[in-house]
Amino acid sequence: MKNVKSNLDEMQEAKLLQIEHKGCWLAFWGLLAAMIVELFVFGVENMRYFIGEWIVFMVLCIYMTDACLRNGIWDRRLKADRKTNLTISLIAGAAAGLIFAAVSLVRYHSVPGAIASFALLFVFVGICCFLALSLTAREYRKKLAQLENDGEEDA
Amino acid sequence: MAKNLKLKAARAGRDLSQQELAELVGVSRQTINAIEKGEYNPTIKLCRAICRALGTTLNDLFWEENEE
Repeated sequence: MKNVKSNLDEMQEAKLLQIEHKGCWLAFWGLLAAMIVELFVFGVENMRYFIGEWIVFMVLCIYMTDACLRNGIWDRRLKADRKTNLTISLIAGAAAGLIFAAVSLVRYHSVPGAIASFALLFVFVGICCFLALSLTAREYRKKLAQLENDGEEDA
Repeated sequence: MAKNLKLKAARAGRDLSQQELAELVGVSRQTINAIEKGEYNPTIKLCRAICRALGTTLNDLFWEENEE
């Protein structure tokens, strides 16, 4: 397909990118919120009812992670070190644990079940998150080193 | 960002409206307006196009002493 000339000048292009950026994060947090609400409505045993949202959410996450890693970008403020990754993993584990504990409490009215859900999810999500962050941080550092060295001789 | 009064003066000196300058450099009038008001920081490519259209240099229009 031929490249169609853009109707936008550079300022409008920058504004559109800002709008798309906000739209992307709105979709991200909206999907996450929708899945949490659906978890309360349908329960853990009926997660198949919102498999569509989950697939879209995961595609979005994988695309953003891959695109950032390819460009040697980690985060605006957070560092790709072990301490930060551990902190983020603990927060993610606690958040997942609290959500599943609340679902368990609301749907099954069992405090021991809610505590068990919290403990299980906290450990499972915390470990998975830490492993995923460690792996991607390693790839990020490799890519960053490669990008920093590329074209040095041409300058 | 501070207002770009140098650009406004140079444009007025050439007796050009924002619309006419915008057409000369191939952008919208709102972009020229935003640059003059200091609301948009143009790329070097657009700065050069504006300088060419007004017969000035980058220093004349976009260099500021004591800029933070």
